[in-house]
Amino acid sequence: MNGMSRRTMMKLTGGAALTAPFLPGAALAARDKELNILCWEGYNSAQVLDPFRAQSGANIRAESLTNDPTMINRLRAGETSTWDLINVNNPWARKVMYPSGLIKPLPRAEFEPYFDQMLPEFKAPYKWAMSEDGTELLGMAQRFGPYSFVVNTDKISRATAEEQGWDLFNDPALEGRYGILESDDWNVFNMFMVAGINPFLDHSDAEMAKFREVAERIVKGARMIGDIAMMNQALVSGEIDLHLTGGTYSVSPARADGNLNLRAITPLKGAIDGKGGIAWIEITSTVANPDLSPLAQEFLKYVQDPEIAHTVAFAEGTFNPVTQMGNPDCFELFSKDELEAIQWESLEEDMARSAEYDIVPDYDEALDILTAAKRLRG
Amino acid sequence: MAAPADTPRRRPGTRSPIPPGLRAAVPVLLLLIFGFVAPLLTVAAFSIAEPRSYDVFTSFTLANYAQIFDPANSVWMSFAWSLALAALVVGILLVACYPVAWGLVHVFGRWAPAISAILVFPLFVSENVRLYGWVLFFIKGGVLDGVLKVFGIGPVTDLLYTPGMTLFGMSYVYFSFMLFPMVLGLAMVPRDLVDAARDLGASRLMIWREVELPLAMPGILIGMLLTFVLAAGAVAEAKILGGQSVITIAQDIETAFTYAQNWPLGAALAMVLVVIVGALALFVMGRLDLDRILGRR
Repeated sequence: MNGMSRRTMMKLTGGAALTAPFLPGAALAARDKELNILCWEGYNSAQVLDPFRAQSGANIRAESLTNDPTMINRLRAGETSTWDLINVNNPWARKVMYPSGLIKPLPRAEFEPYFDQMLPEFKAPYKWAMSEDGTELLGMAQRFGPYSFVVNTDKISRATAEEQGWDLFNDPALEGRYGILESDDWNVFNMFMVAGINPFLDHSDAEMAKFREVAERIVKGARMIGDIAMMNQALVSGEIDLHLTGGTYSVSPARADGNLNLRAITPLKGAIDGKGGIAWIEITSTVANPDLSPLAQEFLKYVQDPEIAHTVAFAEGTFNPVTQMGNPDCFELFSKDELEAIQWESLEEDMARSAEYDIVPDYDEALDILTAAKRLRG
Repeated sequence: MAAPADTPRRRPGTRSPIPPGLRAAVPVLLLLIFGFVAPLLTVAAFSIAEPRSYDVFTSFTLANYAQIFDPANSVWMSFAWSLALAALVVGILLVACYPVAWGLVHVFGRWAPAISAILVFPLFVSENVRLYGWVLFFIKGGVLDGVLKVFGIGPVTDLLYTPGMTLFGMSYVYFSFMLFPMVLGLAMVPRDLVDAARDLGASRLMIWREVELPLAMPGILIGMLLTFVLAAGAVAEAKILGGQSVITIAQDIETAFTYAQNWPLGAALAMVLVVIVGALALFVMGRLDLDRILGRR
């Protein structure tokens, strides 16, 4: 992603100033009764927001998007004056948004104690919540999960899937038996993993050629490419036996419906320093809004509450583990079925074998290759 | 308070420098300028901005267009699929809708409004929901499979996620967009002319070819144009029913604006689509000389 030039930013700011007189008066008034959240789905649900609305009496607006680059570029395009909170995956806060001045640090003394209540691997100072120099707290961690691929264990056993790992997708016998989740940033990671290449390093021409070969072959051999609902439906009906790109985030709704034979798999081994899978951790940060709503920090505290954290974990759409499960008061709110839905029994080992989501240095080139590979399906 | 005596007043009948027609059209003009022209100009401006930047109105480059027309770029395949599918949908719907439209105008009588309502009703349901409904119908172990099993047929597999299924989905979604302009066209054919032709000894085929079809053609053409333009920009059918077995140009545009965050390229692709569809529509409309098509001078 490229940044904006200073000139463009000034133009956009000027444009905003010109349009300001046409905005309702309330927009220019103090924002203590208003909060705007840019987030992944879940935080925008009524279950999460309504109690905060009732408690604060504020007008809360949450917009959900399904990829990080779009959300961050909304801020780059001048929407820092619109949003108060942004909820994206782990690398963006410390590597992109804070260095670009898009987010504001949180008061450490006030927020770090919350990390003490989180699962052990998230204790303060938690790397992805901190600035690169380790001095500033840039956000709060809550939802997370491993995200590699999903299998129907009636067709491919968990042991086989974990042992063979990404090589499953190199098996000609499975051609036409797998789907690909339409999440192309993750597909870029995972095509690299299938090619046996660490996605998060600079790549040579030979590695990119290998990536192209793998992308074209895997995309061509897929039964279908689609969203989470399509993947789960196809797994349940038997149209496919497994799908690339997926994890607790995608398969948990189907597992919660009783399809416990569908399972997120984290391979035993892989190309990222031996790590088999990739995991994501959401970091929610306060936007560098010149008129930041005072409710932004209040909301971050609100979602730390055990009951609200449990609601966040099982908000509509997808179900996920939350860092607050380290707090016994929160953990005890999860039923046996809910723990099964999010594969709690293997979560620790899955996370231990997963590298954390990071930025692919040559993402643009890799995505172009993947996009072109899709056209060859027709 | 009374107005001062010397306050200038417009006398009744004084003409404004702006014609009344234009004055009356101001709200619509403003709506068109802000709702249609301005966004299109913004897209056009983005299409000539530096690739992967947000320098709209400040940079000028044809690099995005050069990338699209680069012979090594396979994006032409997406254009080809979109235009071919749109043309096929128009052809299928012409054949499928004509008998229904004719029935609504001439046969169904007092049932016509109820049948129209049934045909319109699905439009009130989200397109995606309707398409997911079809997935449940065609999926392995789904409605179709289950019904056929009762009759000892099947199992029927591999119906979904094909270009043919994409075509089916598009034909289903755009059915009403072809049907109702066609109904309008057929309803405009004066009954007297048909009766006169029959009285003068014309066969049913001649009446259809020489009277009904030419007079209904404006409605049919509007239906064709509407369907083609909408189908050329379609994406949901290829995704949900087609499983991305083919990539349409609308999906490439979506990818450019989302995962690639290359708004200038997405805007350039959109402009090329607008130009192709616009030119094709104008070309076809311009070439359609009804008299010539129907063999008359």
